Amino acid sequence: MNRHLKIAFMVAPFLVVLGYIGADFHHENEAAKTKIVQLVPEGHCDIINQSCVLKSGDFKVEISDENGITGINSTFPLDSATLFLVDKHDQMTPYPLGMQKSPYYWRSNTELHSLIGQKGDSYKLRLIAKIKGGQYISEFYTQTIK
Amino acid sequence: MKSKETYWSENLRLIFICLAIWFTVSFGFGLLLVEPLNEIRLGGYKLGFWFAQQGSIYSFLALIFWYGAKMNKLDKKYHVKD
Repeated sequence: MNRHLKIAFMVAPFLVVLGYIGADFHHENEAAKTKIVQLVPEGHCDIINQSCVLKSGDFKVEISDENGITGINSTFPLDSATLFLVDKHDQMTPYPLGMQKSPYYWRSNTELHSLIGQKGDSYKLRLIAKIKGGQYISEFYTQTIK
Repeated sequence: MKSKETYWSENLRLIFICLAIWFTVSFGFGLLLVEPLNEIRLGGYKLGFWFAQQGSIYSFLALIFWYGAKMNKLDKKYHVKD
């Protein structure tokens, strides 16, 4: 091994560390930018029967309602989550969800169960889920099929 | 004296080429262009992901040996001894 190779092998670890710092800096900058991503329902959405999943890539949000308590469960931890019930006149009623034990689970009492408790009932909803550096938004319908 | 200066400037040129390739492979392919490169598959792996995980390391090793070989030639050309 000649002296040039020795020097190159000695310099390489510093470049690797420099690269690691640069990559970390780049990722932090990217994460700080506010991104808005739209979630779409995965198949039919029926919140009353615990069958409603919204997704975008690896991020999934499951929405369900049990006895008037509407909750969401996400694959990534959330900073906050707000569910909006949208009536026929496009008037929204916001329901800021409260965190349950961990930032993966959020819930709140809503009017949803009384509005769409019967088979065939449907309702328009909107969801805003805030996550570090971004917002996941969705407008979707839930329809009770059972 | 002039020969020493030329030797040094050729050495610097090689170092800058190495640094440019280092930047292109690690930051360019592994970070900045990762999304378009991920459209291409290499042995089942996404190319951008592969560059970020393995490809850049292989490139760095290849660069070290390439630099060593080029400097050997330069040493011979300018009659420089260890």
